[in-house]
Formats: sequence, structure tokens, C-alpha cells
Amino acid sequence: MLTKASYTLADGTPLSDLVRVPTREVQMRALSDPEIYQLEMDRVFGKTWLLLGHESEVPNSGDFVVRDMGSDSVIVARAKDGNIHVSLNVCPHRGMRISTVDAGNTQIHKCIYHGWAFKPSGEFIGAPVEKECMHGKMMPKEELGLPQARVTLYGGIIFATWDLEGPSFEEFLGDAKWYFDTLFERSDKGLEVLGPPQRFIVRANWKAAGEQSAADGYHTLTLHRWLGEVGNYSKSGDGGSADLSPEMYGVEVSSPHGHALRCIDLGRKIKKLSGLDPAELTVDQKLEALPPPGMTREMLPQLRKHLSEEQLEVMVSMPPQVGGIFPNVLFAFVYIPQADGSVLGLTLLHAYVPKGPDQLEFVNWVLAEKDAPQELKDRMLMQSIQLFGTSGMVEQDDSDTWPHMTLAAKGARGRRSTLKYQAVYETGAPAGWPGPGIVNEGFTKDDTQWHWWLYWNELMNAKA
Amino acid sequence: MSAAQQVAENAPVIGNPIPVGAEVYNRVVGFLYQEATLLDTIRLKEWGATLAPDLVYTVPLRQTRPMSQQAQSVIRTVQHYHDNYRSIMGRIMRLTETRSAWAEDPPSRTRRMVSNVQVFATDRPDEFAVVSYLLLTRSRFDFPDMDVISGERNDLLRVDGEGFKLVRREVILDQAVLGTPNLAIFL
Repeated sequence: MLTKASYTLADGTPLSDLVRVPTREVQMRALSDPEIYQLEMDRVFGKTWLLLGHESEVPNSGDFVVRDMGSDSVIVARAKDGNIHVSLNVCPHRGMRISTVDAGNTQIHKCIYHGWAFKPSGEFIGAPVEKECMHGKMMPKEELGLPQARVTLYGGIIFATWDLEGPSFEEFLGDAKWYFDTLFERSDKGLEVLGPPQRFIVRANWKAAGEQSAADGYHTLTLHRWLGEVGNYSKSGDGGSADLSPEMYGVEVSSPHGHALRCIDLGRKIKKLSGLDPAELTVDQKLEALPPPGMTREMLPQLRKHLSEEQLEVMVSMPPQVGGIFPNVLFAFVYIPQADGSVLGLTLLHAYVPKGPDQLEFVNWVLAEKDAPQELKDRMLMQSIQLFGTSGMVEQDDSDTWPHMTLAAKGARGRRSTLKYQAVYETGAPAGWPGPGIVNEGFTKDDTQWHWWLYWNELMNAKA
Repeated sequence: MSAAQQVAENAPVIGNPIPVGAEVYNRVVGFLYQEATLLDTIRLKEWGATLAPDLVYTVPLRQTRPMSQQAQSVIRTVQHYHDNYRSIMGRIMRLTETRSAWAEDPPSRTRRMVSNVQVFATDRPDEFAVVSYLLLTRSRFDFPDMDVISGERNDLLRVDGEGFKLVRREVILDQAVLGTPNLAIFL
């Protein structure tokens, strides 16, 4: 259990005052204050498991990609023993960045400044002019390796943390793992990336994106209204209505660790595709009518090998479609209606990497099942690009919104305004809901995002 | 066959350069200038009318790679744009026929500077390969920062009456991490 420690910001405000628990408000200065940002780098990004990529990006010995853990650059490399290592990308000699590229393959990461060399595992190999012992005699070679983050693979996704003694990734996911397994641990061969991630800079605080990823369903109605006007949802539902609100009903799962999942009702889609009442269909019939995003009907028998009957029930009725892994990950496993009446599933992951109090880097990975046919992967990739990420018609509206929130949070009055999470579920889980966690049913509400902030608050105020 | 392979198979063979100032060269430059005007003045439906129905429109990712691996600095798997005629027309419809395309409403103020134009004949008498530089400035709201997008366009133009239709556009951007929050604008 984390213990509370008092910390006072430079203007005298206690750090613990930013999140007002009784009224479910957050002071907006949290979205712009450089002092808060600096604390976050240690207390949030130094303590949690962070998404760095997928192992299919580094399939061979020596393959590496350069990524970020909070404000630090790291080298993510596959060593000769097959394991993936995450090393701080800072030369222990004079602080030069060791890798200055985005990706490649090498067994020797050599600093271009003085030539100190390191293995993909981060171990120090040696310094030029060996006979002069240029690394000195004060520290043994074993102590001159690159600092190693703790690494875990989950469904092939690479997560790492600097908190070497903290909770395991499974403990970090907690009850939410039961749901995340239906996305990432459902098939024999698992997911793969369809290429390197898209990357672009948004002049916004990382939390503007982060708190939205904690299952903000409500914004879809207004910010993404075009989906019902001319987009993929305009001809679904009731006669081309622009009202997206029927898509906002379902189940939301939140977590004491800030993870969140929006489980959206599939009933109407299944009814449309099968012509039958979903209530009268078996789990297998529903899977057959609408396989999970990225899976083909041929792959369906794999599901039962990896998941329980209860998990399958959720997958065919209220599958997790969007949500987040605290602090800065969004997942989208969505069912996109197509012009021909069919449905195309997409599988994506984003990381919102902090790049200063008012800047984030949006990193977008497009995923597919390794076992899926190439033709399906091609269609998923093209549609993913058209709807999500850089030019994506959905997410271009999000990335244009977050900068305004960040600017507003700089105002002398604006910084004292509050973000409000006062639309509170009063329902609880649906009768017979088989999954664990904090579960609520109905129209999307603010609880999942509020729990995101509560965990942020807990980490920020924890004793170091 | 992947979409990238299909494009490669359908591409014409590039022939000789057409001299600067030649009649065809001038018509191509005129087309590019007119196109820049249509996009900068947000006459998107008129721009859409200059697109060929077999259009392929892509913007690859870039990666920072060593000098020895420059071919790998252009990524054509995941890309920033991967569109065809139908999807570009969908984007235009979103921007022009809804009141909620917020990423461009209010619209950016843009300038598309097109230069260094090289025109090549192809093995098809009615198609010309065009390489040009694009410098696009984008100003949004009252933000003091001007987003700058620079790159090289590789186009294929098909003769259409007195003008051309755009058949293929690939824009090789210069940034590995784009400095603009989205590509809600056309390049």
C-alpha cells in the first residue's frame, strides 16, 4: 500500500488538492504546470509499466527500435539469447545518446562520441584503446553497462518499467487482465504489427489524451458526429440517423490502477448481419455471425483454447472495443461498418508519449493477427490509416482538441477551472455479468476516467 | 498481392525528361499551380474533379536510418495516408458536407509552394511522371506556431482534354515525427 506524503507546489498549493475527491473535479493546472510535469516523470512514468512496441518489430537477434519511457529514450533490442532488453539510451561515459536512429540491427551499439560499445543486452563490451584502459580502473566493466528497465511481454506487446521492485505487469493490470486477455491473448500465434508506428507531435499535455483514453465514450457524440452524418455509421441503425447515442450503451470496466474498457453492445450489429435475434443465438453462432476484430471464421476454434466460456460470452455480447492501459495507452479493437453491409474489425494501439508539459508524441501501431490472411491485413491497414492516427478521419478531430485544453490550462483563471467527472453510474454490473472488476452498465459515464485520475492522484501523492 | 505491389505493377516505365519550358512541361506546372490554388482556397470539390478514378494516394512513413540504409528510411507498410479515389472522395465529403469536421473547421490557412518540377515521359503517350518539391505552411487558430510540412511529390498525371488528371501521388515527407497534429489536409 502506498502511503501519502505531503508535497507543496511552488505557489503553496498542496499537490493533493489538485484532485477533489468529494466533487469529482480536477484542477486544470494539472494539464499545463511544468512543476507537476516534472513530478509525473518520476512518480507516474518512473513507476508504471509503459508500452514500447511489439516483439514482431524486433524479430531477429540484434534487431532494435528506439523508443521513449516518459522523458527518457531507450533502446529496445533483441539479444543473442532471444530476450528483449530495454536499455537507457544514454552513454554512461559522457552522456551522449548511443543510438541516434529509429531502428536497425546490430550486435554492437557503439557510441559515436568516444566509441564505448554495448551489447543489445546493454552490457558494456569495452572502450577503444583497450591497453590504456580508457574506461578507468575505478569501476569494473560490469558496472558500466546501460541501465536496464524491467521488461515483460504480454501478447507479444513490450512493456517496461523502471520500478524494478514494484508490482508485476499482471498485478498492475489486476482484474482488468481478464478483459485484456480477450484482446491480446486469444489466438495461437497472437498479434503482429503491420509496420512501424506512425508518429506525430501534438501540442498538448499527455494527460489530455491519457484521460480520454480511459474510455471517454461521451465525446464521440459531438466531436466525432461526422461518423453519423456521412461516416461509417450514417447508414447503420435507424435509417441514416446522425444520432450516435445508441452506440454509447454497453458496459464500462474501470480499475483501481486507472485502466479502462468500454464494452459496447454488439447486439444490433449481429442482428443486422445474421437477421436473427442475438438473444436466441449461441456463443458460437454469434462468433460465426461476427468474428472478433481481425479474426477470420477459420480462426474461431482457437478462441476456446485460450479463453473461458465466460470470456467468450463477453466477447460476443459486450466486447471491449476502446479503452486504455494507464497511464498513456489507448487500445481500439473496433467493428467498423462497411459500405457493402459487412463489418471490418480493426486492432490498434496508441501511446501518448510526454514531450514536455504542453507537448505529446502520438505513436500509433496498427496490429493484425499473425494468422490472418494477407488480404484481410491489407484491408485492415488501409482502413486503419483512413480512420485512425495521422490522417485518420476520426482521430484528427481529437488531436485538434487537446491543444486547446492545454492552452486553457495556462490561463490565470483557466488553470483554476476544473475538469468534471460528475456523471456517475448508478447501475452496477448487469445481472449475471461474468467478469471481474469495477463494472457498470448503461450509457457511457465518467467513472472510468475518474478512476484514471484517482490512480494518477495516488501515484503523485505516494511517498517516494 | 499487397497494395504497394499492385501500384508497382501498374506503374508505367519512366522515360526521358521533358525540358523545362517545353509545352507539356508548362502545362504540368500550370496544373500543379492550379491544384495548389484549389487546395489553399479550400475548393475541395473542384480539386476532387481533377482526380482520376484509378487514383492511388499515399504518404509513406519516414524513419531515421544510417547513411548505409537510406532505402529503409521510406516505410511503405504503415503509412500516413493510404487512399484511393473512393476514400479521398469520402474525406472531401466529410470536410464539405458535414458541420463537424473539426480538424479543419475552422480551416487551416495554408500555402502550398510547389517547385523544382521535373517532368518525364512514360511508355504511355498520355501519362507523365512528375517530381516536385512541396513546402506547405499551415496556420491554425491564433497559434503563433506555423506548422511546416516539406516533402517530395512523385505524381503520375494523365492527359485529360486540355488539362490532366492525377492518377498517382506519393509524398515523401522529410520528418520522421511530423510536427503537425494531423494530416486533415491534402498534400
